[in-house]
Amino acid sequence: MPSLTIDGRALTAGTDQTILEAARAAGLGIPTLCWYPKLPIVGNCRICLVSVAGEPKLLPACATKVTDGMQVTTESHAAVQNRRGVLSLLLERYPADHLRNGGRAEPRNEFERYVMQYGVVPTPTWGRDLPLRTGDERPGDPMIRHDMTTCILCTRCVRACEDIQVVGVLDVGFRGEHAEIVVGADGDPEKAGCTWCGECVRVCPTGAIFEVMPKERFSPQQIRHPERVVRSVCPYCGVGCQVDLHVANNTVARVTSPDIEADTPNQGSTCVKGRFGYDFPQHRDRLTTPLIRRGWEKEGGCWAWKGRRGAERRGGPWKSIEGEGQQTKPGTPPRVTGKKVRQLPLLERIDMDIRDRVATPSSWYEPFREATWDEALELVAQELLRIKQQRGGDALACFSSAKCSNEENYLMMRMFRGALGTNNVDHCTRLCHSTSVAAMQRAINTAAASGSMREIEEACDVIFIAGANTTESHPVFGALIKRAHEKGATLIVADPRRTELAGRADIHLQMQPGTDVALYSAMLHHILTQGLENKEFITTRTHGFEGVREAVRAYDPDRAAKITGVPADTIRRAAELYATGPNTSTLWAMGLTQHAMGTDIVTSLLNLMFACGMIGRWGAAMLPIRGQNNVQGASDVGAIPFVYTDYQPVTDPEVRERFAKTWGVSPESLSLNKGLMVTEVVKPESGIRGMYIMGENPIISDPDIAHAEHWFLQLEFLAVQDLFLTETARYADVVLPGASFAEKTGTFVNTERRIQLAKKAVDSPGQVRGDLEILIDLSNRLGLNAPFKTADDVMREIVRVTPSWAGVTHARLEGAGLQYPVPTPDHPGTRFLFADAFPTADGKATFVPVQYTDPVELPDDAYPFVMNTGRQLYHWHTGTMTRRATGLDAREPTPIVEIHPADAARLGVAEGDLVRLTSRRNSMVTAVRVSDRVARGQVFVPFHFREAAANLLTNPILDPYAKMAELKICAVRIEPVRMPAAV
Amino acid sequence: MSAGMSMHASGTEEYQAVFTGATLERLQEILTRYPNRQAALLPALWLVQEARGWISDRNMAEVAELLGLTPAYVKGVVTFYTMYHQHPVGKNFVQVCTTSPCNICGAEDVAMAFLEHTGAKELGATSPDGNWTVIEVECLGACGFATPVMINDDFIESVTPDKVPELVRKYR
Repeated sequence: MPSLTIDGRALTAGTDQTILEAARAAGLGIPTLCWYPKLPIVGNCRICLVSVAGEPKLLPACATKVTDGMQVTTESHAAVQNRRGVLSLLLERYPADHLRNGGRAEPRNEFERYVMQYGVVPTPTWGRDLPLRTGDERPGDPMIRHDMTTCILCTRCVRACEDIQVVGVLDVGFRGEHAEIVVGADGDPEKAGCTWCGECVRVCPTGAIFEVMPKERFSPQQIRHPERVVRSVCPYCGVGCQVDLHVANNTVARVTSPDIEADTPNQGSTCVKGRFGYDFPQHRDRLTTPLIRRGWEKEGGCWAWKGRRGAERRGGPWKSIEGEGQQTKPGTPPRVTGKKVRQLPLLERIDMDIRDRVATPSSWYEPFREATWDEALELVAQELLRIKQQRGGDALACFSSAKCSNEENYLMMRMFRGALGTNNVDHCTRLCHSTSVAAMQRAINTAAASGSMREIEEACDVIFIAGANTTESHPVFGALIKRAHEKGATLIVADPRRTELAGRADIHLQMQPGTDVALYSAMLHHILTQGLENKEFITTRTHGFEGVREAVRAYDPDRAAKITGVPADTIRRAAELYATGPNTSTLWAMGLTQHAMGTDIVTSLLNLMFACGMIGRWGAAMLPIRGQNNVQGASDVGAIPFVYTDYQPVTDPEVRERFAKTWGVSPESLSLNKGLMVTEVVKPESGIRGMYIMGENPIISDPDIAHAEHWFLQLEFLAVQDLFLTETARYADVVLPGASFAEKTGTFVNTERRIQLAKKAVDSPGQVRGDLEILIDLSNRLGLNAPFKTADDVMREIVRVTPSWAGVTHARLEGAGLQYPVPTPDHPGTRFLFADAFPTADGKATFVPVQYTDPVELPDDAYPFVMNTGRQLYHWHTGTMTRRATGLDAREPTPIVEIHPADAARLGVAEGDLVRLTSRRNSMVTAVRVSDRVARGQVFVPFHFREAAANLLTNPILDPYAKMAELKICAVRIEPVRMPAAV
Repeated sequence: MSAGMSMHASGTEEYQAVFTGATLERLQEILTRYPNRQAALLPALWLVQEARGWISDRNMAEVAELLGLTPAYVKGVVTFYTMYHQHPVGKNFVQVCTTSPCNICGAEDVAMAFLEHTGAKELGATSPDGNWTVIEVECLGACGFATPVMINDDFIESVTPDKVPELVRKYR
C-alpha cells in the first residue's frame, strides 16, 4: 500500500490506483475532461496534469499510477499554467463569446466551469484562424441531436457508446484540424445500430450532444436550475433503473441517470425508455376527473342503471379491436432520422409534439360524463357490495397492477380479500413469469431470482440466455451482458430469433419455437454421457435425479437435432460449455414462459441447472428476468390468487388467522379457496360478474382479444383505474383517474429482489388522486378499516406480515435499496441465495422429469408461418404510455410484422407493404418489415398496437399449472393486401 | 477486377456487395494472415478501392459487418488516411508532394502544371473526361529528389513543370 501526499495531505492508496483515483478517494478534485469514471483512460486532454516532486515534467493524474513516497501538487504554478493553456487552445474552436464579459456570464456546462475557474478569457470568435468544428448532427432526430460547434473532442461519447453500452455508433473521423465525431458510416444513427439510450448525452461535458425535448420545451435556465431533482424508479422494465426526475413548472422536464459510480441496479445507465419516455403523464389524453358511464343515475340515495340494456349496455362509438385490426391503414412511413433537414417533406420539418396529438379518439369519451370523486367511489362501493351480497364474493375479481407500487398492490389485495372475501386477485404476472414461478415453486419453493444482475459482469464465466431479447426488453441489463461478454465471458443464446445478443453470442442455438424441452434435455443427456454433471451437488443438494436421468435418456443430441433444428454438435458444444463453467448463470424470459407447456420448459432448464450445480454461488445465478418494474413486488405482496404476502398460502387457516387479525376482520370473512387467475377470469365459465382493474389493459394484452373484448361486454359492473381512457377503460362503468409514476411515492421490487423507493416529484393534474389514496378511501367505504395516510404507513403493515421483508423501512431504502430477504432491521439484504440450502422442507431441490411435446399449433398448409409476439425497444406492452411519449412514438409510430427476406420475396412484398395475417382465431392488417432477425417460416409481431393487435391472433390455450397462454406460438398465413393505403 | 467506378454513393438503388466471389476469397485468404479480423481492415479497404475505385459509406458498412467492427470505426480509419478515396477519382490518381522542402523547390508549380495538362480544374476534382484527379499530399519521403509525384502506384522523382506534359501523355 503506497503512501503519498497530495497537496500536503498524507494518504494511503491502493497499489493499482492512479493519482486521480487516490485524489478522488480523498475528496480532492483534479479537473478532468477526457477522463470519466469507468471509461477507458485515453489521457488526451492534458488538463489533469499535476506536479510530482522530483519529476522534470508534469504528469497526467488520470494515467499515472501512484508510487510510495510520491508528493503531488495539483494546483502548482506549472500545473495551473498548463491548464490555462489547454483551455485556451480548446477555446479556439469553441463559441465562447458569452464568456468574455469579465466573468459575469454563467457557465453552461462542465467545460465552461473550468474556463471560468481558471480565469481563461477566450479570443473573440470573429478573430480566429480556425472555423468552429462540424460533425454529424442527427438532423430531425426526435431525441438526441448534436451541435458539434461546441465539441472539444474529448471522445467521452465514443467510449461511453463503445464500452458502457457496447454499441459503437460514434467514432472520431478525419484527422488533424478536421477531426470530428462521426455517426456511423453515413451519419444515420439507425444504420449504425443506435439504441437512443442517451449515454452520450450524459457524458458530454459541453452539451454538444444534447436532448431535444427539454431544449424545445423549457428555457435553459429551467433546465440548468430545476425546481427540484427527485430520485425515482423508471416506470418500465424489471431492471428497476433508478432515475432522477428534474422538475420545472410542476412537470418532469428531463430525466437523468444517477452518478455512474453510485450503487444502483442500472449502475448509472438508462435505456431510451427511461431517459426519453417520461412525457406521457403530460399528454393531453390524461384523465383528470372521474368518469361515470351515462345511464347511471342516483335515485333515493342509491345508484341505479337507467341506460340501455343488453348488448348495447357497454357499447360506444368506436371500432372493436377486431374491427381496427381488419381496417386498411397507411403503410409504414420512412423514418425521418439520418436525413438532412432540407430532404424532409415540409410537414415533417415542423416538430410534432405528440402531447398535442390525441391518441384517444374523442368519440371514446362520449358514453361518459364527468363525476366527482364522491359519486364515483360511492357507485363503485355500492356495486361491488351488491354483487358480493347477491352472488357471493367469488363473483368479483380484480386485476392489480405490476406498474403500481408494493403498497398499492398490498392495499388492493387487502381490500378484495378483507372487504369482499374473495381471492380472485391477480395481475399480469400470469402472462409473464407465472410458469417460471410454478416451476421454481415445484423445484425449490421460491418465486424469485437467486442472484443479482451485477454478478454477471463481476463473476460469471458462461452466460446462458434462453428466450430473452434482453437488449430490447431490458436494455440496461442487455448492455451489462454485452460488457461481460466483451470482458471474456462465454455467451450462449437459445432463441428462435437472431436477436442482437444471439448475433454476438459464441453459440446461438436457433431452435424451432417451442422445442426447448428437447434442447435442454439433449444438453443434459450429453452432459451425463460425458460425466460432466456435478455429482456432489446432485447427491447433497437435490433428490429425484434418477427420474430425470431416465427422462432425458430419449433425447440424445442427434434426435434433438431433428426436433429442434439445431445441429447436434452445436448442442454438444453448448452443453460442455454450460457444464464446465466454472460459473454459469442461467437467464430466461418470455421466450420460455409464454407457452402452453411453459412450466415444463422452465422445469427442463432448471433440471439442467441443478444437474450442473449452477446455482447458489456468486457468478452462478438463476435469473428469470422480470418484465414490469414491479411484477416481482406485486407478487411478493400477495396480489396473486393463491397466496398472501411472502407466498403464504391462502388455504392455510393459520395464515388466514394472522392476516384477519392484522386487518381487523373475522377469520371467516377471508376465503380459504384459491382464487381465479387472469386467464381464467376472462372466460364465460368463470362466473365473474364484477371487476375492478387497476392500471391494466387486458383488451390488448390477453390472448385472443376478440373473445376477451366480448367477455368484458357481458359484465354487470366494471371499474377501471388508469391514467388514460384505455381500450379496456372505455367499457367501464366508472373510470378513476390514477397518478403516474412521477406523482407518487412508493416502493418497487426489481428483477433481482431489490426493493427501491420512488419518490413523488410533481403534483397530479386536475382532480387526479394517487392510487394509494383511492384504495384507502375505497377500502373504508367497503367497510374495511384502512388506517393509512402515506405509503410509509402501509409499508409498516406490510413488513409486519411479510417475514422476509421484516427489516424494511422507507428510510432504509434510500440509496441503493435492499435486496430481500431482509429479516431484521440491521440485516444488509441478500445479494444471492441458496449458498447452503433451498427453502424447502429438507433444504434440497427436487428434480421433476419432463417430456417434450409438440407445440399445440404447428404450421401446416393452411397456416404456414409460426407467429411469435413480443416487445420492441421503443414501446411498452399495450402502448398506453409509450405511444404517448414523443420520442418513443416517433421511432416506432406504426405496427409492423418482421418477415425474413426470403419469405418476403416469396410473398412478393417489400418493406412497408401491407399484409393480412390470419390465424385460426382472427385476422388483422399490418405493415411488413423485412428482417433476417426472424428465421424463415417465422414472423414476429410486437403486441403494442391497438390498430394491429397481435393478440387478436394468439392462442388462448393454457398451461395446465400456471394458466399461462400460448402467446409465443401460433400458426398464421400471410397475404399481401393490394388495396390502396388509406391516408 | 475492373477499375470501373460505381457512381452510387447510397440511396435507393440496390446495393451491390463488394465481397462476393473472387474478392471474398481473397479477403478470406488475407484473414488467415492476421490474429483477428480487425487487423485485416486496411487490406480489406484496399480490396474495396480496387474493385470500386473509391470507398462509399455503404462499402464501409459492408466492411464493418464482415470484420465485426462498427461502421463509425471503419469510417474513422478511411477518413484518417489520404490513400483511401471517399469520392470517385479519375482513372489516374496523381499525388504531388508539397511539404516544405519540395515546396521550396517549386512543388506547387508542379501541381499547377498537372492541373493544366490533365484538365482537372482544381486539386481534388476530377477532369471532365474522368481520367485524372490531382491532389497535394504530405511528405512522400524523397526530399532529396524534389518534387516526387505518385501516379497511381508509380513513384516518380525529380518532377518539374516541364516534365509534366510527357508524364500526362504517358498515362493518358
